[in-house]
Amino acid sequence: MSNQYSAGQKLNRRNSIVFSILSFVIPLLIWSLISYVPFIWHPKVEITEPGDVDYLSKGMLLDREIFDKEVDNAREKSLAAPEGFRANPVYLPAPHQVATAFYTAFTAEPVRRDEKWLHESLWDSIQVIFWGFFLSSLIGVPIGILAGTYGIVAKLFEPFIEFFRYLPAPAFGALAVAILGIHEAPKIAIIFIGTFFQQVLIVSNTTRKLDPMLLEAAMTLGAKRMSLLWNVVVPGIITYLYKDLRILLGWAWTYLIVAELIGTSSGITWFITQQARYKNFENVYAAIFIIGFIGLSTDLLLAMLGRKIFPWDKATVNA
Amino acid sequence: MKTSINAIFKIFTAVLLLASSFSATAAEPLKIGYSDWPGWVAWEIGIEKGWFKEAGVDVKFEWFDYVPSMDAFAAGKLDAVGMTNGDTLVTAATGGKGIMFLMNDYSNGNDMVIGKPGITSIKQLKGKKVGVEVGFVSHLLLINALEKNGMKESDVELVNVPTNETPQVLASGDVDAIVAWQPSSGVALKQVPGSKPIYTSKDEPGLIYDLMVASPQSLSKRKADWIKVVKVWYRIVDYIKDPKTFDDAIKIMASRVGIPPEEYSSFVDGTKILTLKEAQMYFKKGKGFTSLYGSTKISDDFNVANKVYEKPMSPDEYIDASITLGL
Repeated sequence: MSNQYSAGQKLNRRNSIVFSILSFVIPLLIWSLISYVPFIWHPKVEITEPGDVDYLSKGMLLDREIFDKEVDNAREKSLAAPEGFRANPVYLPAPHQVATAFYTAFTAEPVRRDEKWLHESLWDSIQVIFWGFFLSSLIGVPIGILAGTYGIVAKLFEPFIEFFRYLPAPAFGALAVAILGIHEAPKIAIIFIGTFFQQVLIVSNTTRKLDPMLLEAAMTLGAKRMSLLWNVVVPGIITYLYKDLRILLGWAWTYLIVAELIGTSSGITWFITQQARYKNFENVYAAIFIIGFIGLSTDLLLAMLGRKIFPWDKATVNA
Repeated sequence: MKTSINAIFKIFTAVLLLASSFSATAAEPLKIGYSDWPGWVAWEIGIEKGWFKEAGVDVKFEWFDYVPSMDAFAAGKLDAVGMTNGDTLVTAATGGKGIMFLMNDYSNGNDMVIGKPGITSIKQLKGKKVGVEVGFVSHLLLINALEKNGMKESDVELVNVPTNETPQVLASGDVDAIVAWQPSSGVALKQVPGSKPIYTSKDEPGLIYDLMVASPQSLSKRKADWIKVVKVWYRIVDYIKDPKTFDDAIKIMASRVGIPPEEYSSFVDGTKILTLKEAQMYFKKGKGFTSLYGSTKISDDFNVANKVYEKPMSPDEYIDASITLGL
């Protein structure tokens, strides 16, 4: 008798919600523990009172050992000892700091006239992703389907694409600027290069998984090329294709940061790199979370949409 | 059938011709690239205040990271860009010839050699490791520091590190000193308590000039417009130098780089923004660091000695002092 906790069994609805929430709560809990409970880690000391140690200043983070040495040192010479409290390194801000940064990032009004609100920068980034992914799919999906169906197309495209997909997309940055200018175009090109070649191969592989009996049966019944593609191949793979595209969209997001470093500084990447340069890591975390939220919510939305469009597909319904 | 194809073709060419002639006649805005250095961030004041429009010149400033801005200029996508005099030569060597015609500032302490705790002088670096971005402006500063202390480059061991990673490298303890400019230098001093600047660009003012550099074509074709740009620059300088408007100037600049004004004002101190009089002085021909010509010659010697490029270049070819001297 197997219950819902055995291998290969589905959890019931209540439990799947509980564990989904836990998958977020547990990392958050660990992060909070490390941030708020001093004796777990806190390898640094934040100086509140520099005392007579000349190189210290208020707000500086010092290694604990060095701090202890300085305190002993000062006591021996009966000078004013530095004071401070235990703290984490600057690269690990506490959850509430990140939450505040998250809030202020959205509510901070632009100071200059041509400055953008954060949500406007985000919108720029989303447009870059959209166009890169859209153009890639426009060409990549048809080629992938044809390559998966016809051997001649596969041989014509796949060897070269196999070669090209190993060339790192970021390496084309300077080239893209030289050809396409400094604004959105080279950024879209990088997303395209990063997505397209994988896309063709993945789609053609998915197409190949279609039961060959279906093709044979259709041809026996007299289906012509176009109608074979439209009425047999595409309907046969559409639900898998949809899932492939969902995964590939996530892929396109990973190229965003590289793409936006090319040409003029813009979008969410500008925010991240600039704040990292000045070591305001709580802002960096906030921005990373924003990308995560957008990615996850798009994916959930697409999954929901998938259930509506393909109600017959069990795997999609359960996704 | 054939005639209709012909007709379509004709219409198509006509549209193309029209489009191309249109873009050629309409005066395009001057495209200028700038990046995160106080002397260039200052342009933001002119943009924010609408002074370019008042001066009757159409400009479009594009915000970049420093190295991509030089790449875009070299690729011919910009009319002008903010660069140091040394990097102007390096960019020219790779095919992006530019003319220095406006002097924003010279680095006055923002570029630093920083020693780890216990190292307090350049002389102590003998036989030690120094993290520096080889072939670029920081390298130049290090050589200058060594020479002044009667040492040679071979007296230290260079570790090639991108400038924005120098703070972590110093913190790791793998090197005894680093060379960096703001904000990296400030971050390093804060991250490694006890570390000290042991040599800065303040010890050799004029080693690193920061300028606006235009393509030769644009400078000759749109000279009247560039003169207007230079005039706006000196309006900006006045605004920064005036104690009454200094705070507002800093506020605008800080918002460009996305940090609080209090934090930003410390970066401005290490940059000597030049008044027109000062700039005119440094634009005069001469030897040594007090002339842009002399300073650029020294950069050239450095670049050739370090094989950044092969053949020495003549500073005269890359400097046009006439606009600044003519004001």
